[in-house]
Amino acid sequence: MKIVLIALIGALAAILANGGIAVFNDGLRPIMPEYLEGRMKKAELAATSFALSFGLVIGFGIPISIGATILLVHSILLGTDIIGTWSPKGKIGYAVAGTIGALWGIGLLVGLQWIVNVFKKLPVNVFDSMGQIGTPVIFAFAAFPALAVAYQYGVKNGLITLTISALVRAIVARFSPIVIGTSKIALNPEGMALVTGMIVLLIYAMREKKEENSTNIAALFTERVDRIKKNVWVLAIMGALVAAATSLHILAGDPISLSLVSKGNYTDAALVALARAIGFVPLVATTAIATGVYGPVGMTFIFAAALFANNPLLAAILGFVIIFAEVYLLGGIAAFLDKFPGIKKSSDNIRTAMGQLLEVALLVGGANASNMALPGLGIFIVIGLYLLNEIAGRPIVRMAVGPIAAILVGILANILAVFGLYVPPVK
Amino acid sequence: MIRFVVGGAVDKQKVAQMIKEIGGDKVSVEIKSDIEAAMAVKNGKADYYVGACATGGGGALAMAMAILTAQKCATISMPGKPPQEADVKKAVAEGKVAFGFTNDHIEKAVPYIVNAILEK
Repeated sequence: MKIVLIALIGALAAILANGGIAVFNDGLRPIMPEYLEGRMKKAELAATSFALSFGLVIGFGIPISIGATILLVHSILLGTDIIGTWSPKGKIGYAVAGTIGALWGIGLLVGLQWIVNVFKKLPVNVFDSMGQIGTPVIFAFAAFPALAVAYQYGVKNGLITLTISALVRAIVARFSPIVIGTSKIALNPEGMALVTGMIVLLIYAMREKKEENSTNIAALFTERVDRIKKNVWVLAIMGALVAAATSLHILAGDPISLSLVSKGNYTDAALVALARAIGFVPLVATTAIATGVYGPVGMTFIFAAALFANNPLLAAILGFVIIFAEVYLLGGIAAFLDKFPGIKKSSDNIRTAMGQLLEVALLVGGANASNMALPGLGIFIVIGLYLLNEIAGRPIVRMAVGPIAAILVGILANILAVFGLYVPPVK
Repeated sequence: MIRFVVGGAVDKQKVAQMIKEIGGDKVSVEIKSDIEAAMAVKNGKADYYVGACATGGGGALAMAMAILTAQKCATISMPGKPPQEADVKKAVAEGKVAFGFTNDHIEKAVPYIVNAILEK
Protein backbone atom coordinates (compact mmCIF):
# COMPACT_ATOMS: atom_id res chain seq x y z
CA MET A 1 0.00 0.00 0.00
CA LYS A 2 2.84 2.38 0.84
CA ILE A 3 4.46 1.75 -2.54
CA VAL A 4 1.18 2.28 -4.39
CA LEU A 5 0.52 5.50 -2.51
CA ILE A 6 3.98 6.92 -3.23
CA ALA A 7 3.68 5.88 -6.89
CA LEU A 8 0.32 7.66 -7.18
CA ILE A 9 1.73 10.80 -5.53
CA GLY A 10 4.72 10.80 -7.88
CA ALA A 11 2.56 10.21 -10.94
CA LEU A 12 -0.11 12.79 -10.18
CA ALA A 13 2.39 15.45 -9.06
CA ALA A 14 4.39 15.03 -12.28
CA ILE A 15 1.18 15.33 -14.32
CA LEU A 16 0.15 18.46 -12.42
CA ALA A 17 3.57 19.98 -13.12
CA ASN A 18 3.40 18.92 -16.77
CA GLY A 19 0.02 20.61 -17.23
CA GLY A 20 1.13 23.73 -15.36
CA ILE A 21 -1.62 23.12 -12.81
CA ALA A 22 0.59 22.90 -9.74
CA VAL A 23 4.32 22.98 -9.04
CA PHE A 24 5.94 22.41 -5.67
CA ASN A 25 8.93 24.75 -5.91
CA ASP A 26 7.74 28.24 -5.02
CA GLY A 27 10.56 29.56 -7.19
CA LEU A 28 9.29 27.75 -10.25
CA ARG A 29 5.71 28.96 -9.86
CA PRO A 30 6.30 32.58 -11.00
CA ILE A 31 8.00 31.31 -14.16
CA MET A 32 5.15 28.97 -15.14
CA PRO A 33 2.89 31.68 -16.63
CA GLU A 34 5.79 32.86 -18.79
CA TYR A 35 5.77 29.40 -20.37
CA LEU A 36 2.01 28.81 -20.30
CA GLU A 37 1.34 32.15 -21.97
CA GLY A 38 3.99 31.59 -24.62
CA ARG A 39 6.73 34.00 -23.58
CA MET A 40 9.16 31.24 -22.67
CA LYS A 41 10.18 28.13 -24.58
CA LYS A 42 9.82 24.59 -23.23
CA ALA A 43 13.59 24.10 -23.18
CA GLU A 44 14.14 27.24 -21.12
CA LEU A 45 11.46 26.18 -18.64
CA ALA A 46 12.96 22.71 -18.34
CA ALA A 47 16.44 24.14 -17.78
CA THR A 48 15.19 26.60 -15.16
CA SER A 49 13.20 24.01 -13.28
CA PHE A 50 16.19 21.70 -13.22
CA ALA A 51 18.49 24.45 -11.93
CA LEU A 52 15.97 25.50 -9.27
CA SER A 53 15.14 22.06 -7.96
CA PHE A 54 17.97 19.62 -8.54
CA GLY A 55 20.32 21.08 -5.93
CA LEU A 56 17.56 20.92 -3.33
CA VAL A 57 16.69 17.30 -4.11
CA ILE A 58 20.28 16.10 -3.83
CA GLY A 59 21.56 18.51 -1.20
CA PHE A 60 18.50 18.87 1.02
CA GLY A 61 15.60 16.46 0.47
CA ILE A 62 17.46 13.21 0.23
CA PRO A 63 20.15 13.70 2.96
CA ILE A 64 17.55 14.77 5.50
CA SER A 65 15.32 11.84 4.55
CA ILE A 66 18.18 9.36 5.02
CA GLY A 67 18.88 10.59 8.54
CA ALA A 68 15.36 9.75 9.67
CA THR A 69 14.18 7.13 7.14
CA ILE A 70 11.08 9.16 6.37
CA LEU A 71 10.81 10.80 2.96
CA LEU A 72 10.96 14.57 3.13
CA VAL A 73 8.26 15.68 0.69
CA HIS A 74 10.79 17.92 -1.06
CA SER A 75 12.73 14.93 -2.37
CA ILE A 76 9.72 13.56 -4.23
CA LEU A 77 7.89 16.72 -5.28
CA LEU A 78 10.91 18.74 -6.41
CA GLY A 79 11.76 15.72 -8.54
CA THR A 80 8.27 15.62 -10.06
CA ASP A 81 8.57 19.35 -10.87
CA ILE A 82 11.59 18.52 -12.99
CA ILE A 83 9.96 15.42 -14.51
CA GLY A 84 6.79 17.31 -15.37
CA THR A 85 8.55 20.24 -17.01
CA TRP A 86 10.90 17.96 -18.98
CA SER A 87 8.11 15.75 -20.32
CA PRO A 88 6.58 16.75 -23.68
CA LYS A 89 3.40 18.77 -24.02
CA GLY A 90 -0.10 17.35 -24.43
CA LYS A 91 -1.63 13.92 -23.80
CA ILE A 92 1.61 12.02 -24.42
CA GLY A 93 3.28 14.33 -21.94
CA TYR A 94 0.76 13.37 -19.26
CA ALA A 95 1.49 9.69 -19.86
CA VAL A 96 5.27 10.19 -19.88
CA ALA A 97 5.23 12.43 -16.81
CA GLY A 98 2.88 10.10 -14.94
CA THR A 99 4.99 7.03 -15.61
CA ILE A 100 8.33 8.59 -14.75
CA GLY A 101 6.81 10.33 -11.74
CA ALA A 102 5.51 7.01 -10.39
CA LEU A 103 8.90 5.37 -10.92
CA TRP A 104 10.62 8.30 -9.18
CA GLY A 105 8.37 7.90 -6.14
CA ILE A 106 8.88 4.14 -5.95
CA GLY A 107 12.60 4.56 -6.53
CA LEU A 108 12.93 6.99 -3.63
CA LEU A 109 10.99 4.83 -1.19
CA VAL A 110 12.75 1.61 -2.16
CA GLY A 111 16.11 3.38 -2.39
CA LEU A 112 15.73 4.87 1.06
CA GLN A 113 14.88 1.47 2.54
CA TRP A 114 17.85 -0.04 0.70
CA ILE A 115 20.24 2.58 2.06
CA VAL A 116 18.93 1.98 5.58
CA ASN A 117 19.45 -1.77 5.19
CA VAL A 118 22.98 -1.23 3.91
CA PHE A 119 23.77 1.04 6.86
CA LYS A 120 22.52 -1.59 9.27
CA LYS A 121 24.68 -4.33 7.71
CA LEU A 122 27.94 -2.37 7.70
CA PRO A 123 30.75 -3.47 10.06
CA VAL A 124 30.27 -0.35 12.15
CA ASN A 125 26.56 0.14 12.70
CA VAL A 126 26.12 3.81 11.95
CA PHE A 127 22.36 3.61 11.63
CA ASP A 128 21.72 4.27 15.32
CA SER A 129 24.03 7.25 15.31
CA MET A 130 22.20 8.67 12.26
CA GLY A 131 19.14 8.92 14.48
CA GLN A 132 21.03 11.53 16.52
CA ILE A 133 20.90 14.03 13.66
CA GLY A 134 17.34 14.99 14.48
CA THR A 135 17.65 15.00 18.27
CA PRO A 136 18.51 18.69 18.86
CA VAL A 137 15.59 19.66 16.62
CA ILE A 138 13.19 17.93 19.03
CA PHE A 139 14.09 20.22 21.90
CA ALA A 140 14.99 23.36 20.01
CA PHE A 141 12.03 23.70 17.66
CA ALA A 142 9.83 25.43 20.23
CA ALA A 143 12.18 28.44 20.17
CA PHE A 144 11.37 29.64 16.68
CA PRO A 145 8.33 31.82 17.48
CA ALA A 146 10.57 33.83 19.83
CA LEU A 147 13.08 34.22 17.03
CA ALA A 148 10.35 35.40 14.67
CA VAL A 149 9.15 37.95 17.26
CA ALA A 150 12.71 39.21 17.63
CA TYR A 151 12.98 39.74 13.87
CA GLN A 152 9.75 41.63 13.67
CA TYR A 153 9.53 43.52 16.97
CA GLY A 154 13.12 43.69 18.24
CA VAL A 155 15.35 41.58 20.41
CA LYS A 156 13.72 42.73 23.66
CA ASN A 157 10.32 41.39 22.67
CA GLY A 158 11.96 38.25 21.37
CA LEU A 159 13.59 37.71 24.73
CA ILE A 160 10.24 38.21 26.48
CA THR A 161 8.64 35.61 24.20
CA LEU A 162 11.48 33.17 24.77
CA THR A 163 11.16 33.64 28.53
CA ILE A 164 7.40 33.03 28.48
CA SER A 165 7.86 29.92 26.30
CA ALA A 166 10.62 28.59 28.56
CA LEU A 167 8.51 29.22 31.65
CA VAL A 168 5.52 27.38 30.18
CA ARG A 169 7.82 24.53 29.20
CA ALA A 170 9.23 24.25 32.71
CA ILE A 171 5.79 24.37 34.34
CA VAL A 172 4.31 21.78 31.98
CA ALA A 173 7.33 19.49 32.39
CA ARG A 174 6.92 19.69 36.18
CA PHE A 175 3.17 19.22 36.48
CA SER A 176 2.21 17.08 33.50
CA PRO A 177 0.27 14.81 33.45
CA ILE A 178 -2.43 16.85 35.10
CA VAL A 179 -4.82 14.68 37.07
CA ILE A 180 -8.43 15.85 37.14
CA GLY A 181 -10.58 13.36 39.00
CA THR A 182 -9.81 10.02 37.41
CA SER A 183 -8.62 11.30 34.02
CA LYS A 184 -5.07 12.25 33.23
CA ILE A 185 -4.18 14.94 30.72
CA ALA A 186 -0.65 14.53 29.43
CA LEU A 187 0.68 17.77 28.01
CA ASN A 188 3.86 17.86 26.04
CA PRO A 189 6.35 20.50 27.25
CA GLU A 190 7.82 21.36 23.84
CA GLY A 191 4.45 21.39 22.15
CA MET A 192 2.99 23.74 24.76
CA ALA A 193 6.03 26.03 24.60
CA LEU A 194 5.59 26.24 20.83
CA VAL A 195 1.89 27.01 21.08
CA THR A 196 2.61 29.71 23.67
CA GLY A 197 5.23 31.32 21.47
CA MET A 198 2.94 31.26 18.44
CA ILE A 199 0.11 32.87 20.40
CA VAL A 200 2.41 35.68 21.56
CA LEU A 201 3.62 36.18 17.99
CA LEU A 202 0.08 36.35 16.62
CA ILE A 203 -0.99 38.79 19.33
CA TYR A 204 1.89 41.10 18.38
CA ALA A 205 1.11 40.67 14.68
CA MET A 206 -2.63 41.35 14.94
CA ARG A 207 -1.93 44.72 16.54
CA GLU A 208 -0.17 46.07 13.47
CA LYS A 209 -2.34 48.48 11.53
CA LYS A 210 -3.12 48.39 7.84
CA GLU A 211 -0.71 50.26 5.61
CA GLU A 212 -2.07 53.03 3.47
CA ASN A 213 -2.88 52.45 -0.20
CA SER A 214 -2.04 48.76 -0.02
CA THR A 215 -2.89 46.56 -2.96
CA ASN A 216 -5.20 43.56 -2.89
CA ILE A 217 -3.62 41.28 -5.45
CA ALA A 218 -6.62 38.96 -5.79
CA ALA A 219 -8.41 41.79 -7.59
CA LEU A 220 -5.43 42.27 -9.93
CA PHE A 221 -5.32 38.66 -11.11
CA THR A 222 -8.91 37.38 -11.17
CA GLU A 223 -8.55 35.27 -14.31
CA ARG A 224 -5.57 33.47 -12.79
CA VAL A 225 -7.48 32.68 -9.63
CA ASP A 226 -10.26 31.25 -11.81
CA ARG A 227 -7.73 28.97 -13.50
CA ILE A 228 -6.83 27.42 -10.14
CA LYS A 229 -10.51 26.99 -9.25
CA LYS A 230 -11.05 25.14 -12.52
CA ASN A 231 -8.51 22.54 -11.40
CA VAL A 232 -9.73 22.22 -7.83
CA TRP A 233 -10.84 18.55 -8.06
CA VAL A 234 -7.54 17.17 -9.19
CA LEU A 235 -5.68 19.38 -6.69
CA ALA A 236 -7.89 18.07 -3.90
CA ILE A 237 -7.13 14.45 -4.89
CA MET A 238 -3.43 15.28 -4.73
CA GLY A 239 -4.00 16.68 -1.24
CA ALA A 240 -5.79 13.50 -0.18
CA LEU A 241 -2.92 11.29 -1.38
CA VAL A 242 -0.24 13.37 0.34
CA ALA A 243 -2.23 13.51 3.57
CA ALA A 244 -2.73 9.74 3.58
CA ALA A 245 1.00 9.14 3.07
CA THR A 246 1.83 11.63 5.83
CA SER A 247 -0.45 9.89 8.31
CA LEU A 248 1.29 6.59 7.49
CA HIS A 249 4.59 8.28 8.41
CA ILE A 250 6.25 7.58 5.09
CA LEU A 251 6.27 11.24 4.14
CA ALA A 252 6.83 14.48 6.06
CA GLY A 253 6.31 18.07 5.03
CA ASP A 254 9.34 19.71 6.65
CA PRO A 255 12.56 18.70 8.43
CA ILE A 256 11.31 19.61 11.91
CA SER A 257 8.13 17.54 11.86
CA LEU A 258 10.10 14.79 10.10
CA SER A 259 12.51 14.59 13.03
CA LEU A 260 9.63 14.61 15.49
CA VAL A 261 7.70 11.89 13.64
CA SER A 262 10.81 9.72 13.49
CA LYS A 263 10.99 9.86 17.30
CA GLY A 264 7.28 9.18 17.66
CA ASN A 265 6.26 12.66 18.87
CA TYR A 266 3.24 12.91 16.59
CA THR A 267 1.38 15.66 18.41
CA ASP A 268 4.44 17.92 18.43
CA ALA A 269 4.99 17.16 14.77
CA ALA A 270 1.41 18.16 14.01
CA LEU A 271 1.78 21.43 15.97
CA VAL A 272 4.98 22.29 14.12
CA ALA A 273 3.35 21.49 10.79
CA LEU A 274 0.48 23.78 11.74
CA ALA A 275 2.79 26.64 12.72
CA ARG A 276 4.77 26.17 9.54
CA ALA A 277 1.59 26.21 7.48
CA ILE A 278 0.75 29.62 8.93
CA GLY A 279 4.16 30.72 7.72
CA PHE A 280 3.45 29.45 4.23
CA VAL A 281 -0.07 30.80 3.70
CA PRO A 282 1.00 34.19 2.34
CA LEU A 283 3.79 32.79 0.16
CA VAL A 284 1.64 30.10 -1.42
CA ALA A 285 -1.46 32.29 -1.63
CA THR A 286 0.29 35.26 -3.24
CA THR A 287 2.38 33.23 -5.70
CA ALA A 288 -0.68 31.15 -6.60
CA ILE A 289 -2.92 34.16 -7.12
CA ALA A 290 -0.33 35.97 -9.21
CA THR A 291 0.45 32.96 -11.41
CA GLY A 292 -2.66 30.77 -11.63
CA VAL A 293 -0.49 27.80 -10.66
CA TYR A 294 -1.09 26.11 -7.33
CA GLY A 295 1.13 23.87 -5.21
CA PRO A 296 0.62 20.09 -5.02
CA VAL A 297 0.49 20.30 -1.21
CA GLY A 298 -1.32 23.63 -1.09
CA MET A 299 -0.52 25.78 1.91
CA THR A 300 0.81 22.72 3.76
CA PHE A 301 -2.11 22.57 6.23
CA ILE A 302 -2.73 19.03 4.99
CA PHE A 303 0.42 17.84 6.78
CA ALA A 304 -0.82 19.13 10.13
CA ALA A 305 -4.27 17.63 9.59
CA ALA A 306 -2.79 14.27 8.58
CA LEU A 307 -0.62 14.11 11.69
CA PHE A 308 -3.50 15.08 13.97
CA ALA A 309 -5.77 12.49 12.31
CA ASN A 310 -3.13 9.71 12.45
CA ASN A 311 -5.35 7.51 10.29
CA PRO A 312 -4.84 7.28 6.53
CA LEU A 313 -8.49 7.26 5.51
CA LEU A 314 -9.47 10.15 7.75
CA ALA A 315 -6.32 12.00 6.66
CA ALA A 316 -7.21 11.53 3.00
CA ILE A 317 -10.68 12.97 3.54
CA LEU A 318 -9.25 15.93 5.48
CA GLY A 319 -6.59 16.47 2.82
CA PHE A 320 -9.23 16.60 0.12
CA VAL A 321 -11.49 18.99 2.00
CA ILE A 322 -8.62 21.29 3.08
CA ILE A 323 -7.23 21.79 -0.43
CA PHE A 324 -10.74 22.39 -1.74
CA ALA A 325 -11.32 25.02 0.95
CA GLU A 326 -7.91 26.66 0.41
CA VAL A 327 -8.56 27.13 -3.30
CA TYR A 328 -11.97 28.66 -2.76
CA LEU A 329 -10.69 30.89 0.05
CA LEU A 330 -7.73 32.27 -1.95
CA GLY A 331 -9.39 35.63 -2.58
CA GLY A 332 -10.54 35.87 1.02
CA ILE A 333 -7.08 35.01 2.33
CA ALA A 334 -5.52 37.73 0.21
CA ALA A 335 -8.03 40.25 1.55
CA PHE A 336 -7.35 39.11 5.13
CA LEU A 337 -3.59 39.45 4.71
CA ASP A 338 -4.17 42.88 3.27
CA LYS A 339 -6.08 43.87 6.40
CA PHE A 340 -3.48 42.49 8.81
CA PRO A 341 -0.05 43.29 7.35
CA GLY A 342 1.57 42.12 10.58
CA ILE A 343 0.43 38.55 9.88
CA LYS A 344 1.98 38.55 6.43
CA LYS A 345 5.20 40.00 7.81
CA SER A 346 5.29 37.51 10.66
CA SER A 347 4.86 34.65 8.22
CA ASP A 348 8.00 35.81 6.41
CA ASN A 349 9.75 35.94 9.75
CA ILE A 350 8.44 32.51 10.80
CA ARG A 351 10.10 31.04 7.73
CA THR A 352 13.35 32.92 8.34
CA ALA A 353 13.31 31.75 11.96
CA MET A 354 12.57 28.10 11.17
CA GLY A 355 15.35 28.08 8.61
CA GLN A 356 17.91 29.48 11.01
CA LEU A 357 16.84 27.18 13.81
CA LEU A 358 17.28 24.19 11.53
CA GLU A 359 20.68 25.37 10.36
CA VAL A 360 21.95 25.34 13.94
CA ALA A 361 20.04 22.30 15.17
CA LEU A 362 20.95 20.06 12.25
CA LEU A 363 24.60 21.10 12.46
CA VAL A 364 24.71 20.20 16.14
CA GLY A 365 22.78 17.00 15.39
CA GLY A 366 25.16 16.11 12.60
CA ALA A 367 28.12 16.70 14.90
CA ASN A 368 26.58 14.53 17.65
CA ALA A 369 25.76 11.74 15.22
CA SER A 370 29.27 11.84 13.77
CA ASN A 371 30.80 11.80 17.20
CA MET A 372 28.82 8.66 18.02
CA ALA A 373 29.86 6.96 14.79
CA LEU A 374 33.49 8.01 15.01
CA PRO A 375 34.36 9.63 18.36
CA GLY A 376 36.46 12.79 18.15
CA LEU A 377 37.33 12.59 14.49
CA GLY A 378 33.61 12.81 13.67
CA ILE A 379 33.18 16.29 15.15
CA PHE A 380 36.46 17.38 13.60
CA ILE A 381 35.20 16.38 10.15
CA VAL A 382 31.70 17.86 10.49
CA ILE A 383 32.91 21.28 11.63
CA GLY A 384 35.71 21.23 9.10
CA LEU A 385 33.33 20.48 6.25
CA TYR A 386 30.85 23.10 7.47
CA LEU A 387 33.51 25.80 7.39
CA LEU A 388 34.88 24.68 4.03
CA ASN A 389 31.36 24.91 2.60
CA GLU A 390 31.09 28.45 3.98
CA ILE A 391 34.37 29.52 2.38
CA ALA A 392 33.44 27.89 -0.91
CA GLY A 393 30.43 30.23 -1.12
CA ARG A 394 27.96 27.58 0.10
CA PRO A 395 27.60 25.18 -2.79
CA ILE A 396 25.60 23.04 -0.36
CA VAL A 397 22.58 24.50 1.43
CA ARG A 398 23.68 25.31 4.98
CA MET A 399 20.91 23.27 6.53
CA ALA A 400 22.04 20.09 4.80
CA VAL A 401 25.74 20.28 5.70
CA GLY A 402 25.26 18.56 9.10
CA PRO A 403 23.28 15.59 7.74
CA ILE A 404 25.52 15.17 4.68
CA ALA A 405 28.69 15.35 6.79
CA ALA A 406 27.23 12.80 9.22
CA ILE A 407 26.50 10.39 6.37
CA LEU A 408 30.05 10.84 5.07
CA VAL A 409 31.49 10.23 8.53
CA GLY A 410 29.38 7.08 8.81
CA ILE A 411 30.84 5.79 5.56
CA LEU A 412 34.34 6.84 6.61
CA ALA A 413 34.02 5.00 9.94
CA ASN A 414 33.33 1.81 8.00
CA ILE A 415 36.18 2.33 5.58
CA LEU A 416 38.56 2.88 8.49
CA ALA A 417 37.19 -0.20 10.25
CA VAL A 418 37.74 -2.36 7.17
CA PHE A 419 41.39 -1.27 7.06
CA GLY A 420 41.79 -1.82 10.78
CA LEU A 421 42.35 1.87 11.46
CA TYR A 422 39.31 2.19 13.69
CA VAL A 423 38.08 -0.30 16.25
CA PRO A 424 34.46 0.37 17.18
CA PRO A 425 33.83 0.23 20.95
CA VAL A 426 32.09 -2.91 22.13
CA LYS A 427 28.72 -2.03 23.61
CA MET B 1 20.49 58.75 -4.70
CA ILE B 2 19.47 55.26 -5.78
CA ARG B 3 16.31 54.03 -4.12
CA PHE B 4 16.24 50.33 -3.16
CA VAL B 5 13.24 48.45 -1.87
CA VAL B 6 13.69 45.13 -0.10
CA GLY B 7 10.88 42.72 -0.85
CA GLY B 8 11.29 38.97 -0.98
CA ALA B 9 10.40 36.53 1.72
CA VAL B 10 13.17 36.01 4.26
CA ASP B 11 16.06 37.84 5.94
CA LYS B 12 14.79 41.25 4.85
CA GLN B 13 16.47 43.05 7.74
CA LYS B 14 19.83 41.53 6.90
CA VAL B 15 19.53 42.43 3.22
CA ALA B 16 18.48 46.01 3.95
CA GLN B 17 21.27 46.54 6.48
CA MET B 18 23.82 45.25 4.03
CA ILE B 19 22.66 47.52 1.19
CA LYS B 20 22.96 50.51 3.51
CA GLU B 21 26.44 49.49 4.67
CA ILE B 22 27.72 49.17 1.13
CA GLY B 23 25.89 52.05 -0.49
CA GLY B 24 26.19 54.57 2.36
CA ASP B 25 24.85 58.00 1.41
CA LYS B 26 24.37 57.04 -2.20
CA VAL B 27 21.43 54.78 -1.50
CA SER B 28 18.14 54.74 0.34
CA VAL B 29 16.63 51.48 1.53
CA GLU B 30 13.11 50.61 2.50
CA ILE B 31 11.73 47.26 3.66
CA LYS B 32 8.29 46.48 2.27
CA SER B 33 6.04 43.52 1.67
CA ASP B 34 6.89 41.89 -1.65
CA ILE B 35 3.73 43.21 -3.30
CA GLU B 36 4.23 46.76 -2.09
CA ALA B 37 7.91 46.67 -3.00
CA ALA B 38 7.16 45.58 -6.56
CA MET B 39 4.39 48.20 -6.85
CA ALA B 40 6.84 50.89 -5.69
CA VAL B 41 9.21 50.07 -8.54
CA LYS B 42 6.36 49.92 -11.05
CA ASN B 43 5.05 53.32 -9.94
CA GLY B 44 8.50 54.88 -10.05
CA LYS B 45 8.74 55.38 -6.29
CA ALA B 46 11.80 53.13 -6.14
CA ASP B 47 14.54 52.18 -8.60
CA TYR B 48 15.51 48.64 -7.70
CA TYR B 49 13.87 45.67 -6.01
CA VAL B 50 15.92 43.07 -4.16
CA GLY B 51 14.64 40.04 -2.30
CA ALA B 52 15.82 36.78 -0.82
CA CYS B 53 14.11 33.47 -0.25
CA ALA B 54 15.08 29.82 0.04
CA THR B 55 15.09 29.21 -3.73
CA GLY B 56 16.11 32.56 -5.19
CA GLY B 57 13.04 32.83 -7.37
CA GLY B 58 9.91 32.05 -5.39
CA GLY B 59 9.23 34.26 -2.41
CA ALA B 60 12.08 36.45 -3.59
CA LEU B 61 10.76 37.35 -7.01
CA ALA B 62 7.22 36.00 -7.45
CA MET B 63 5.46 39.32 -7.00
CA ALA B 64 8.12 41.23 -8.91
CA MET B 65 7.67 38.86 -11.84
CA ALA B 66 3.91 39.15 -11.71
CA ILE B 67 3.86 42.93 -11.42
CA LEU B 68 7.00 44.03 -13.31
CA THR B 69 7.15 41.08 -15.82
CA ALA B 70 9.83 38.42 -15.89
CA GLN B 71 11.91 40.42 -18.41
CA LYS B 72 12.74 42.92 -15.66
CA CYS B 73 13.74 40.27 -13.11
CA ALA B 74 16.91 38.28 -12.59
CA THR B 75 17.49 35.32 -10.30
CA ILE B 76 21.18 35.61 -9.49
CA SER B 77 21.67 32.65 -7.20
CA MET B 78 19.95 29.33 -6.67
CA PRO B 79 20.38 26.59 -4.06
CA GLY B 80 23.83 25.14 -4.57
CA LYS B 81 24.68 27.74 -7.21
CA PRO B 82 26.38 30.80 -5.71
CA PRO B 83 26.11 34.16 -7.50
CA GLN B 84 28.70 35.20 -10.11
CA GLU B 85 29.78 38.83 -10.23
CA ALA B 86 29.93 38.88 -14.04
CA ASP B 87 26.35 37.60 -14.32
CA VAL B 88 25.10 40.26 -11.94
CA LYS B 89 26.87 43.03 -13.90
CA LYS B 90 25.36 41.71 -17.10
CA ALA B 91 21.86 41.64 -15.60
CA VAL B 92 22.22 45.23 -14.39
CA ALA B 93 23.53 46.33 -17.79
CA GLU B 94 20.56 44.65 -19.47
CA GLY B 95 18.26 46.88 -17.49
CA LYS B 96 16.91 44.38 -14.98
CA VAL B 97 15.43 46.13 -11.97
CA ALA B 98 14.49 43.25 -9.68
CA PHE B 99 16.97 40.77 -8.24
CA GLY B 100 16.30 37.59 -6.34
CA PHE B 101 18.76 35.30 -4.58
CA THR B 102 18.80 32.61 -1.91
CA ASN B 103 19.29 33.60 1.70
CA ASP B 104 22.34 31.32 1.78
CA HIS B 105 24.12 33.71 -0.56
CA ILE B 106 23.18 37.13 0.82
CA GLU B 107 26.77 37.99 1.78
CA LYS B 108 27.88 37.71 -1.84
CA ALA B 109 24.75 38.60 -3.77
CA VAL B 110 24.02 41.96 -2.11
CA PRO B 111 27.50 43.49 -2.61
CA TYR B 112 27.55 42.31 -6.24
CA ILE B 113 24.17 43.90 -6.94
CA VAL B 114 24.76 47.18 -5.12
CA ASN B 115 28.25 47.67 -6.56
CA ALA B 116 27.13 46.83 -10.08
CA ILE B 117 24.33 49.39 -9.83
CA LEU B 118 26.56 52.08 -8.31
CA GLU B 119 29.17 51.57 -11.04
CA LYS B 120 26.57 51.79 -13.76
